[in-house]
Amino acid sequence: MFPFTYHRPVELASAHALLVANEEAKLLAGGQTLIATLKQRLASPSDLVDLARVPGLTGIAREGGALVIGAMTRHAEVAASQQVAAAIPALADLAGRIGDPAVRNRGTLGGSIANNDPSADYPAACLGLDATIVTDRRELAAGDFFLGLFETALEPDEIILSVRFPIGGTATYAKFANPASRYAMAGAFLWRGEEGVRVAITGAGQNGVFRWSAAETALVADFSPAALVDIGLDGDEMIADIHGSGAYRAHLAGVMTRRAVARILERGSP
Amino acid sequence: MDLTGSQRIEAPREAVWRALNDADVLRRCIPGCQELVQASPTEFVAKVVLKIGPVKATFAGAVTLSALDPPNAYHIAGEGQGGVAGFAKGGAKVWLVEEEGATILHYEAQANVGGKIAQLGARLIDSTSKKLAGEFFGAFSRVVSPAPADSVAHVE
Repeated sequence: MFPFTYHRPVELASAHALLVANEEAKLLAGGQTLIATLKQRLASPSDLVDLARVPGLTGIAREGGALVIGAMTRHAEVAASQQVAAAIPALADLAGRIGDPAVRNRGTLGGSIANNDPSADYPAACLGLDATIVTDRRELAAGDFFLGLFETALEPDEIILSVRFPIGGTATYAKFANPASRYAMAGAFLWRGEEGVRVAITGAGQNGVFRWSAAETALVADFSPAALVDIGLDGDEMIADIHGSGAYRAHLAGVMTRRAVARILERGSP
Repeated sequence: MDLTGSQRIEAPREAVWRALNDADVLRRCIPGCQELVQASPTEFVAKVVLKIGPVKATFAGAVTLSALDPPNAYHIAGEGQGGVAGFAKGGAKVWLVEEEGATILHYEAQANVGGKIAQLGARLIDSTSKKLAGEFFGAFSRVVSPAPADSVAHVE
């Protein structure tokens, strides 16, 4: 690691002030990507602002028709929560399949979506459930939050407080995990409700998570795996790397979406 | 990896060619370019900050122009050392074709990354290279051709 100054503020205002005062400062949430990057000396922030002691950033609560999860809530907490399992079981299931136990015990919801890794799981849930990202200054619809590869609408000194997931409808997450990292090679978060169908694909798109609108249209007309047989994604727009080509990921995203549809059909209406 | 593409630029070929040889224009268009100093008519010294997700590395290197065929084509190559982060090098054959007062800029680029940055970023190098190439040619097109907003202001 390169040297940096470590801060552990105990209130949100101090965390924000540290970000404003130090242009090269980085927020530290669970550190499951950032610490690995620092160890490799691939980043050298002047200051690390640890959010661990800032009050009000953790916890799971039901507020009206939504589930509100604090930005610093660990994946393991979401996976084990009875409240999440009862309100949005697909979300608890997704959290329980992120990375390995070490990642789940340290990694956080806010850290995952702020990083917006193109293969991360939570961004798919946010888009698929049409969640709202609540920051220290505004509320952003998930569709306006994720802008591209590792890019979000967050300002440099903006801090995510929580994410609000609307309850209702039926959802499921089908993921083909890389056997080593458990990152999604392709993952499809499918939601079906009164307003229609949402399909969010992660792990595949070169610009990160995206809504697969052609699949949504087809599923609104005919909610069955067969409706997707003739619909494909463009392999040239998918991630190509040592683990798989773009064409492979395009195919895999289709397979995951069909599995998700089949799973919801098996389960029946809620 | 290889990248090919083309970009339509609403400017005459001569103007596009001049911009392709202008250190100031290149500095403004190369993503993350902090410095670009012309050492000779065909050589530049550059400092580029590569920021992708959590990774932020500064590369110091050289940009060289060769196979100059004004105002039609050249080859642009860059090579940088990012300290412990590794190295990055890339090159592009660029050629210009006139079309109804506008210019079509074609490119065939190759990019190579090595060292730690390649290990950690192995699954992202292709996507990142495409994104950076898109940013460069997008910015270049905006710098060289008058923006629609400007022409509106001009009419007023």
